[in-house]
Order: sequence, then C-alpha cells, then structure tokens
Amino acid sequence: MMQEQKARKTGYRIIRYSPWLVHFNTGACNGCDIEVLASITPLYDPERFGVKLSPSIRHGDILVVTGAVTKKAADRLKRLYDQMPCPKFVVAVGACAIDGGVFSKSYSVVGGADKVVPVAIYIPGCPPRPEAILDGLVKLLTALREEEVQNNGCS
Amino acid sequence: MGITKVVEIPVVTTEVPIGPQHPALHEPIMLKVYADGEEVVKVEVNTGYNHRGIEKLCEKNTFYRDIFIVSRVCGICNAVHANCYVRALEQILDVTPNRRAKFLRVLSMELERIHSHMLINAVMAEIVGFETLFMQIMLDRERVMKAKEILTGNRVSADYMMVSGVRRDIDEVKRDKIKEILLKLKSKIEYYKKVFEEDETLVKRLVDVGRVKYEDATSHSFVGPLARASGVRIDSRASDKYDAYDEIPFNVITRTEGDSWARMMVRWDEILESIEMGIYILNNLPSDGNPVPDERRLPRRFPPGEAYTRVEAQRGELTYYVMSDGKTQNPYRVKIRTPSFNNIVNSAFMYVKHTLADVPVILTSIDPCISCMERVTLIDLEKGVRQRIPLKQLSSGGRK
Amino acid sequence: MDVAEKLKLLEDFALEKSVLKPNRKLFVVEPSYVRRIFESLIEKLGHGGFYLSTIVGTDLKEENKIRLDYYVVMLPEEETVVIRTFLPRENPVIDSLIDIIPGALAGECETYDLLGVVFRGNPFLKRGFFVPTDVSEKGIYPLRKDSGV
Repeated sequence: MMQEQKARKTGYRIIRYSPWLVHFNTGACNGCDIEVLASITPLYDPERFGVKLSPSIRHGDILVVTGAVTKKAADRLKRLYDQMPCPKFVVAVGACAIDGGVFSKSYSVVGGADKVVPVAIYIPGCPPRPEAILDGLVKLLTALREEEVQNNGCS
Repeated sequence: MGITKVVEIPVVTTEVPIGPQHPALHEPIMLKVYADGEEVVKVEVNTGYNHRGIEKLCEKNTFYRDIFIVSRVCGICNAVHANCYVRALEQILDVTPNRRAKFLRVLSMELERIHSHMLINAVMAEIVGFETLFMQIMLDRERVMKAKEILTGNRVSADYMMVSGVRRDIDEVKRDKIKEILLKLKSKIEYYKKVFEEDETLVKRLVDVGRVKYEDATSHSFVGPLARASGVRIDSRASDKYDAYDEIPFNVITRTEGDSWARMMVRWDEILESIEMGIYILNNLPSDGNPVPDERRLPRRFPPGEAYTRVEAQRGELTYYVMSDGKTQNPYRVKIRTPSFNNIVNSAFMYVKHTLADVPVILTSIDPCISCMERVTLIDLEKGVRQRIPLKQLSSGGRK
Repeated sequence: MDVAEKLKLLEDFALEKSVLKPNRKLFVVEPSYVRRIFESLIEKLGHGGFYLSTIVGTDLKEENKIRLDYYVVMLPEEETVVIRTFLPRENPVIDSLIDIIPGALAGECETYDLLGVVFRGNPFLKRGFFVPTDVSEKGIYPLRKDSGV
C-alpha cells in the first residue's frame, strides 16, 4: 500500500515537470484543433511549463480530446487511452468534448469524452482561446501537485 | 457487401496504416497504404471518424438555428459556411443586405482565407521537417487572428453572418488597427513566399511530387487551389460575383505545374491578393446605413422555394442547396458539398508511384479538412477508372 | 463554343425547363437519359470542358418519389446547370456515371448510404461507412423522412 502510494507520487512528480501531450480529434470541427495547435506556438510558449507535443501515443502523459465523440471514433479513443503509459490523464477541450455541444442529438454522436474515458479537466469554450487551454493544463498540473486527481487510469 | 478488390495486391507488398492518430496528421483520417518496398502501390482512404450527421440535424432544427450548426461544420472555414447558407436563405426570402454589410462579409472571409492558407503552409513546413519555419509562420498567423478578433469578436468561430447583414459593425479605430496589421503582414508574407521559392529543402521535397494534369483535375472534380495549380481556372468569386466581389478588384491565381509546390505557391499568392483586397475594403468602406439588422424584425415565415449557392472557400468551391416546403419552420433539405469532399475522396491516384515519405506531403498539399469532408460521409477509395493498374505497368515506370 | 450552344446540348433531352435561384438553369429529364447526357457532354466538350460538382438527392415522401439533381459546372465560364430527374421511392435505381466520370464516386456513394439510391454499375457502394453500424444494420437510410433517427 505504502509502496503503491510512493510510486504514484513519483509518477505525478515526473509528469508535473514535463507533461507530454497527445492530441486526438474525435469528430471536432477543427476550431478547437487549430486553437490547440496555436497554443503550442511561440506567442503562448507552453514550453515554459514543460508542455510539449509527443510524437506517439505511447510516449504521452496527457490526452487532449477535441470534439464530440462519434460512434466510430469512440472505440478508437478507448484503444488510444489503453495504449498510454500510467499515470495518464484526459483533458476535454471545447463544448463538444464536454457533452456533445450542438451535435449532441445527432444519430452518429455518442456525446462527450467522459462517456468513453475518465476526464480530469474540462475546458469550456467554442472554441476555447489558447490562453484558456494553457490555463486548464496549468490547473491540472497544480491539482497533480496537491494529489487531488484521483483517477489516473490505472489504479 | 464487400468492396471488390480491383488491384491485385502482390504478396510482397506491405500494408502501412497511417492514422487516424498519427503525428503527421492533425485530423482523423486513415490512409491504408500498400507499399512495395518504399514505393506506394495503392492507397485506400478510410474515413468516417468525423461523421456527425449534420444534414439530418439541419432538418430537425429551424432555419435560424441552423446558421450556428453549419458554421460548426468546419472551424477553420466557419465564415464561408455561414455565408453560403445565409445567402441561400436570402435567396429564398428575397432580401439583400446593404453594401456596407456586404463589404464587411467579404473582409471577414478574406481574413479567414489568409489565416487558413498560412496554417496549411506552416503545417507543410512542419511535415517536411522545417520546424523553425512552422513556428515563424504560426507566430505571424497570430496577427491575423487578432485582426479577425477585432472585426468579428472571436478568434475562430464568431457566427458573424446574419440574414440580411452581419452581427457587428466596426468603427474608425478598429478599421485603422486592422489596416495596420494587414500592412505589417504583407512584407512578412513576401518573405515566406521567397523562402518557399528558394529554400533547397522545401523545393526538393515538394517539386514534382503528386503531379495532377488538367484533364485529371476536371474529370475527378477537383476544386480550389488544387485545380488552380493545374491550370484550371475555377473561382466562384470571379464567376458568381456574390456579395461585394463584383466591386472589389482581384486576380485569380493559376499555375501550370500541377505539383505540390505549385499548390503551396498558389496559396501564398492568394494571401497577397487577399491582403490587397482587405486594404481596398478598409479604404473604400461604404457607409450606407447600419449593417446590423434587428434580429426581432427578421421574417419568421419562409415561403416555399429552393436555392443553390456557391462560395469560394479556402479549399475550393463550397456549395449549399437549401429547400423550404413553406409548411414548417425547418428546412426540408439542406445539402452541403464541401471542397475537401471532392478533393480527398477522389485523390487516391495521386499517391501511386511515390515513396512512403511523400504520402504526408501530398496529403497536406491538398489541404485536407476532414471535418468539412465528413460532415456526412466518406468512403473508401480507389476511384473508378484509374485504379486498374497492372503491377507490370507500375514496375515499368509508366504512370498511367 | 459559347454558353448558349452548350445549353442547347441539354435542351434536346429536357422534358421541361425552369430556373433555380440564383439564376441556375434547370432541366428535368428522364432517368434513363442521364447517362446519355453525360456521354454527349464528354463527346462535345471533352473531359476538360465541365465538371460534376455534386449530386443532391431529396426524399419527396408526399409524392412518393426521390429527386436526384446533378449539378454540372461548365468551364471556363463556370455556368452552373442542374440536371434533375425523379425516381420511384420504392425501388430507386439509376445508371452509374463512375466509369466515365471518376469524380462521381463521392456523390454516388454518399447518396447511396444516406438515401438508398442504387447506382447500377458502381462497385464501391456499401452501407455502414459513414452511417454508424448500429443505424445501417437496421437498414435505415438517415435522410429518408420516415427514418426516425
């Protein structure tokens, strides 16, 4: 038990200093995608928080989900989440990733990202500004320091 | 119900799935690439990850609510989508906006064209491994986003279009600020264009990759910069002259090379055209009344009728068909045909005979907008005629 | 060849003519003529002289018909013309254009999956590619007015 807690603490500490993002579009309109892309550019400079886009899902710590989850993308999202190493967290960016947004009543949309994977932080907006996305990430990192985030996907 | 395999896949080929989550692609599309060694033999485009059933949603909601739904077909081109739909409604209702509103609409669409073209050029630089250029272009793109925010109120989705007008007016201060941004941007764009023309890395990766001939472009229904780079002069701004395009001078950019490099150059030239148009609009903004209509006075009953509007989006000709049956508050049918839909579905033949490393380059040079494409559909792909490629012919080098 | 001459090609096949807003010429034709019209367009104008912009299918439940509109853009003037035809709602079948115009692939596959119009001779038609499988397995075509989705 003690050992488990210790391991979790170490894992959280490592992520806190340099979280690597993986971005997955589950059926977004691209609005959130370009804002996620814009928020990794020099004007907003996320590298001061150690934030960096990771080249592969297997290197990622934080999964950024944009867009309403369509039925076809839902099992892809689950599969991607299972492939990430522990501990792992999901950030839902934009109104559609939170609950489906304007598309929630469509026949091919499941709903928000939390219907498929556990979500740690929701960032509202249509689309959220890059500052808001960075703010959400920093809030997640703060919560990690306080160890407030319980669901790291592999307890 | 399976798809008939037309191309024989020899035993030696390797199947390389690219996507839907892949570092080189920012959007969910899956290319199934069959490779013989390094050489691509066949490509299947598998999609459907982004199908949201928007046409059915539009039938379930009212005419005015649909303006918000259609502008979320694609975030990058939200103003053109909304403009095309709103103009279809105006045709059915027989109303026209005043001249100032028309000029402001054009300005918002041209700003969108600038930032979209800059984005895809930046992504292209990243794909070929030139990350510094990517960061530089994205930094300057933020200026355009600022200008767009000043004009429309939001960086990306602003829902700027309304039936018979626009949602906000601009004053002198905002006008000068946008003009200043555009003037500053111009020299930067000229510099980037020169980099794309002269830089050895870019030229080596882009020239002669994914060549499309004139006849192929029209028979496969390619539109936008993809067609214009092959010499096909399609530009609905010039032919339909919607909104204020009949009063604003501009040139249609065409090139004859037809390869990936020509497509990127067409985009740089179009940015320069758009900046000129933006400055012209700001200098000659008419003041014939308030461009913002009173939302409560808009007509509530829609007469029966139908309209088919075209608009030149960043990626090519975008068309909307709207039909009203006059009985309900909802449209009877809304059909959206986005440029990426034609460009991507019909493009599988472009990859054949190139190496695996060229696949992302060709895909990016099409400027794929998966959200646009899949609002309703997408299908697999070897297209009709050209897919019967005997392996012999491939190995002999004849690209037929 | 100027625009009037090109339109003359279509007029020979037309049952009736009208205009779709804003100013698109519309020709109503028999379903069996659609393929012949495109063959004669290719013959007269060549592959570089026009492109098929889109295919719009509409479910007219009250008239028990399905309406198909082919939107064709004539180059270089970019004159948009509409070729309209009606199919019976129970058994909508029409000849495919895919072997003469590869660009028809996108529109035909979409119309099949969402409306159930069968394009005879198109080997790529299949259900359940854009429509999620739980809907397509029930045999529902989402854009039909009685689909209930």
